[in-house]
Amino acid sequence: MLLLQLLVNGIVTGCALGVVAVSFALVYATTRIFHIAHAGVYTLGGYLAWSLLAHGVPEPLALLGAMAGCTVLGAAIQHFLYAPLERRRATHLIVLIASLGALAVIQNLIAAVYSSDILEFTIPWASAVVTLGGLRLTGAQLATLALSLAAFVGMLWFAHRTLLGKRIRAVASNPFLAEITRLEPRAVYVTVIAIASAVVCIPGVLVPLDLGLQPYGGVTPLLTATIAMIAGGVGSLGGAFLFAVVIVVLQNLSLLVMPGEWSIGVTFAIFVVFMLFRPRGLFAAG
Amino acid sequence: MDYFYSYLILAEIYVLLGLSTNLLVGVVGIFSVSQAAVFGVGAYIVSDFLLSGTLSFLPALAVAAVACIVLNVLLTLPSLRVSGDYFVVTSFGIQLLATAVFTNWTGGTGGANGLPGVPPPDLFGFPLEETRQILGFTTVAAGLGCLAFWLAMRAPYGRLLKAIREDELAVAAAGKDVLRAKVSAAALAGAFAGVAGGVYATYMSFIDPSSFDLDASVLLLTMVVVGGARTLAGSIVGPFVLLALPQLLQLVAIPTTVAASARQLLYGVLLIAFAVFRPQGLAGERL
Amino acid sequence: MRMSRFWLAAVAAGALLGAAAPARAKTIELGALLPLTGPGAVIGTEQMRGIQFAVDELNAKGGIDGDKVHVIYDDDQAKSDQAVLDFNKLVSLQHVPMIWLAYSGPTLATAPLATRRHILILNSGAQSDALQKASPYLVNTLPSTEEEVKVMVKYLRAQGKSTAAVLYENDAAGIGGRDDFVKDFKAAGGKIVAQEPVQFGQTDFRPALLKLASAKPQVLYVVTTVGMVPLADQLHEMNHKWLVAGTTFMNNPQVIADPNAAGLIHTQVEANVSPALMAAFQKKMGVEMGFFSRQYYNSAQMIFIILDHMIKAKTPITGANMRTELFKIKTFATPVPMTFTSNTAIVPIAIEEMKNGTEVTITHSVAK
Repeated sequence: MLLLQLLVNGIVTGCALGVVAVSFALVYATTRIFHIAHAGVYTLGGYLAWSLLAHGVPEPLALLGAMAGCTVLGAAIQHFLYAPLERRRATHLIVLIASLGALAVIQNLIAAVYSSDILEFTIPWASAVVTLGGLRLTGAQLATLALSLAAFVGMLWFAHRTLLGKRIRAVASNPFLAEITRLEPRAVYVTVIAIASAVVCIPGVLVPLDLGLQPYGGVTPLLTATIAMIAGGVGSLGGAFLFAVVIVVLQNLSLLVMPGEWSIGVTFAIFVVFMLFRPRGLFAAG
Repeated sequence: MDYFYSYLILAEIYVLLGLSTNLLVGVVGIFSVSQAAVFGVGAYIVSDFLLSGTLSFLPALAVAAVACIVLNVLLTLPSLRVSGDYFVVTSFGIQLLATAVFTNWTGGTGGANGLPGVPPPDLFGFPLEETRQILGFTTVAAGLGCLAFWLAMRAPYGRLLKAIREDELAVAAAGKDVLRAKVSAAALAGAFAGVAGGVYATYMSFIDPSSFDLDASVLLLTMVVVGGARTLAGSIVGPFVLLALPQLLQLVAIPTTVAASARQLLYGVLLIAFAVFRPQGLAGERL
Repeated sequence: MRMSRFWLAAVAAGALLGAAAPARAKTIELGALLPLTGPGAVIGTEQMRGIQFAVDELNAKGGIDGDKVHVIYDDDQAKSDQAVLDFNKLVSLQHVPMIWLAYSGPTLATAPLATRRHILILNSGAQSDALQKASPYLVNTLPSTEEEVKVMVKYLRAQGKSTAAVLYENDAAGIGGRDDFVKDFKAAGGKIVAQEPVQFGQTDFRPALLKLASAKPQVLYVVTTVGMVPLADQLHEMNHKWLVAGTTFMNNPQVIADPNAAGLIHTQVEANVSPALMAAFQKKMGVEMGFFSRQYYNSAQMIFIILDHMIKAKTPITGANMRTELFKIKTFATPVPMTFTSNTAIVPIAIEEMKNGTEVTITHSVAK
């Protein structure tokens, strides 16, 4: 029973992380920008939803409103920060530094406005416990599972079945060719970051719904998501999602065999070894 | 006066770290986000020797330097297999792993409690207790570091390193030993970080994992960006400016409840401004 | 040219104002080094509110014998190197005689400096055992975790509880508390069946709780400093049967108000202030007066008493003199009374139980 409950909890958290990984992977595969400020977008989503709920906005609308806010923020980061940097032919390191700067700005604006206290959502159904067999899950966990899976499937459908999705994949696989075939990579970049920001807002709201909001809480999920992306192979959305779930499940289950203080360390140790021997990931595209 | 001295001492320690990071990131192009981990290993080794009384300061510092040379070479090895952003993430991983070890290996590091009461540095049995004496020592250490960096960059070896960063394939094709050049640069960077760690621990007299975490690594990277890549001047300017910045920002009058976040926010704005408007930093070359 | 004339005029005006003011009235500057950004900021800001509320209240009443008090806050982000730099700044540039600190790391890092520079440092937040002997200039206004653990262990054994599991935060505060509890509980004849860490700031306690639950303890002893509300909620959803016990860290207005926290018990370093004060604080600061606000408010009152004595006796306000005065006064009739026979205050410790959105006191005792 313990094993099963740990497994299910891991899958729930893993699916939320999987959506973070998939959205990050979409940005990274297309733009090659190491968009660490994505952690800030993720964090902002939860706070926006919290504020909207506090002003009496109904729950589904609060989620949509937060997603809209994240979309705007993501597009703004691309338009006002990454695009000018690209025009100046800035190197990867400089873009990463700028992204770290943007992350610091977002996190501290949030801290200045909302304080650094852990904020809780007060929604009765979210903390209500549902018993399935011997398993116990909260409403928030069930919502996280359902919406994360929906977001993931939606992303897959979007990337493979829609014209815009195909255009994005074309730009991702060869920006130069896309340029001369008038696919306008720059316009695509804004769209990609906007979509990724809207998507990352979903776990950005649902995870804090279960575990509370913290202004500096986005970095660890994002780094873990990046690892999932790389392990899954850049360009493979399914790989990123799957590995996010696997990593979280393993972190949960590792408690059965070793003390918990080592679980994060061991995750990263395995990753470093992995990078030495199989740096292209397990399901690398192309 | 002590305030100014302690600023200078920390800035000089960070100059050594700036040289270390600049050598890897700026000169060779190995984008390491884990230099604080190497710095920490140096600090813990020196502290452990001094606290147990097995070695005095200078021999302990030498051991730390050697250990950090080996460690840094090992840590940069993945850069030979993976490149660019992949190495960045690997390096993030190494940093988080190091933090986990510093926090959980209670026997060697005191764990999260840290190691209190590290004795002050001593030279041949003469303890440096006064801030002024420590300042003299760190000035000599930082000066030697700068000299080594300058000499290395001026020598044919420095030109080889630059060539590797510009076009590794061409250098290899010209029959130069790329691997050896990279490994020796990593070794030098490791020595700088190890010495900086030892000096830091003895000056602070207390160390815990929070001084060697991801934030610290990012700070080192920022110092290189703000100071400027690849130049000696950049490696010196970066630490001095970035350590002065929080102090200057304290002077900005902001309501107290949001003051601290607002200062960190300004810091983010500065990072963005440098990236967009001055990627060569204050005194360096473009990264 | 115009600028320099402006400055000249400003300086002249300042000098005139200075001359016009009564010669005695001046501002006493004190320092506070707290984590105001980063994960520690939750507690740091609460502490800052406590000090500032006390200072504003004092100055509104006309200060100490006409002298106003001003506190300079610096953000050390709970990091020891930043704390050392800020400490030197406060002492060398702003010449403060005393500094408030929080968190074990920064306090331990600045303790040797305090000894060397004769600066009184006052800790009203951290409870590491190492703080007891760090410096003669370090004064703790709350007992170490060890004292709290002793009280709780005695109570638990008296209740016939013989097996316990420990959930602790993987940092100085949590590990210290775990070590004390494990040692004392075993010494009292109990058995520790499992222990599990969580990271500072982590709010997903489920994996750790599930693992601890599988050991079937009678008591779950909790030593974590943040994330109490999610912990209470996740404990509740597990429908557990054990008694959950903790330390003062558990005292947080949001947890107490949380119906899921019903039945939790914890030792409490007593820091009760009058309802009128709580209300005034709530009105001015817009938030409830939490435990750390009360602690720092209380230690600020202690400092004001010391300063009052010194000003009346015309003793120069230096760190060394403040320390001497503190031990001379020894017993302080502050809102939470304190007595100093060592560097650590003797204050009452109670055991409280959370019930229907409030707390009920089960026992009272005094440390040492």
